[in-house]
Amino acid sequence: MNLKKYRTKSPWILHYNTGSCNGCDVEILACLAPKYDIERFGILNRGNPKQSDILLVTGPVTKRARERLIRLYMEMPEPKVVVAVGVCACTGGVFRGMYNVENGVDKFIPVDVYVPGCAARPENIIDGVVRALEILEKKKKDLQLTRKCTGTEELEYLLGKQLNRRKIVAEGTRRCYESRRD
Amino acid sequence: MGNRITIPFGSQHVALPEPIRFVFQTENEKIVDVEVDVGYVHRGIEKACMTKFKYTQVGYVVARVCGLCAISHTLGYVTAVERLMEIEVPKKALYLRLLVSELDRVHSHLLAMGHLAEVAGYENLFMHTFRDRELVMELQELVTGNRIQFDYATVGGVNRDLSLEVERELREKLKDLQERCLWLKDVFENDYTIKLRWKGIGVITPEMARELNVVGPPARASGLATDARNEFNYLPFKEVGYKLITMKDGDIYARNMVRAEETLNSLEMIFNLLDGMPEGDIKVPVKGLPEGEAFVRIEAPRGELFYYLKGSKKLILDRLRIKVPTFSNIPVMKELFIGMDYADVPATVISFDPCLSCTAR
Repeated sequence: MNLKKYRTKSPWILHYNTGSCNGCDVEILACLAPKYDIERFGILNRGNPKQSDILLVTGPVTKRARERLIRLYMEMPEPKVVVAVGVCACTGGVFRGMYNVENGVDKFIPVDVYVPGCAARPENIIDGVVRALEILEKKKKDLQLTRKCTGTEELEYLLGKQLNRRKIVAEGTRRCYESRRD
Repeated sequence: MGNRITIPFGSQHVALPEPIRFVFQTENEKIVDVEVDVGYVHRGIEKACMTKFKYTQVGYVVARVCGLCAISHTLGYVTAVERLMEIEVPKKALYLRLLVSELDRVHSHLLAMGHLAEVAGYENLFMHTFRDRELVMELQELVTGNRIQFDYATVGGVNRDLSLEVERELREKLKDLQERCLWLKDVFENDYTIKLRWKGIGVITPEMARELNVVGPPARASGLATDARNEFNYLPFKEVGYKLITMKDGDIYARNMVRAEETLNSLEMIFNLLDGMPEGDIKVPVKGLPEGEAFVRIEAPRGELFYYLKGSKKLILDRLRIKVPTFSNIPVMKELFIGMDYADVPATVISFDPCLSCTAR
């Protein structure tokens, strides 16, 4: 069964507030409400980082939220996309330079899409998520290229055509484990 | 007794849009101890207002303390400065401020009610409440130009006038909204399962409320007649038909009903206000610099908001102190949790409508 096709169409969201004023958080909540119903596109808001593809961050990064933000990012499986919602998450906004604030999310984790606005409008947030989907698709392709087992041509050449496929796979697996041990 | 189990709730949780951390110690599903940690969103706004921003800009900065009650924070600051500098604000500006602050209260209360329904497991009711809330957001956009974080009030008046077309549209949509709010109130009041779930849970007795200084809808739900709109004269509330709403039970159900009644009262006030809108300017020029001290009490949607201000004839203020409603409600929350079932915790937390962004600043 080819699950790949369906997974691209149901991206799940993880939402984390790193010190915003609740304005952008309420707009994300409004995105789930019937007027801008993003659930009809299969975009669900999940609290679990291990199930999510897109990380929505709102607010300037405060010093205490920093560790949680990095940890949540690390817990998400690859491929993943980060969307910074609101000016505070993009650059720090009005909170820029305050003593407990670190001016924007991109100082700590790589950000793929920036959504401006104070507070960011639901239309803009949905637009940002849709942009993020394209990037997610691209990242997935890159990931597939790097995961491909290299050296299969060499393997086939060494073992020759007369050996059956099972033996080739077994030899490949053995080599793979050997390389892992290094 | 069973084993002691430690359950962390937050700082990142599905039911909470904001980072707050509770650490519960439970014994056989009963909570025996709880720790509350609210400092995840501290940004240092008070310090910045005293060092970075001019006194004319501070109104827009304190609006960013909280996105939900932005107008309340701005109103608190602006009223304090006007009292210091003895500026007489035109009556039309006061009425327009009242209009926006009541619209803000309606949207905040609807959000709290919807969120409470979602946490208790009524997904459909949550969706209904949020659909009706969108109408208020549209009205706010119509009047002020932005859905949330409208920088409407300024020192000496308001920033935008109300045109005739907007007023007509406002009346039409408000009628629709009032009908929907009546329907919502009916559902929240009469639904059988909601009563089973919320009645008698998380009860604050009047003595407890008085002793621990509870403010806002939780206080009024347990019978305390505290409302800054009634006690402190900052906007002409009594001219437009303000009613003090109290209930006796003090449980989650009563808190929700206080919110529902206040929503209807706010809508009534907006209708009266549109009928009696005075003519005149919306803004007066501001001269001079603030000198002296002033304090102001504002009724934000969640309760009493306190602003203290000190200036000494400089562009930058000497001191700005904000005391927010959730800060007053945290001690009683802690008191309530001990001896409660763990399953009732999310509904009780949300029934206070906590705003951590305000609390940590």
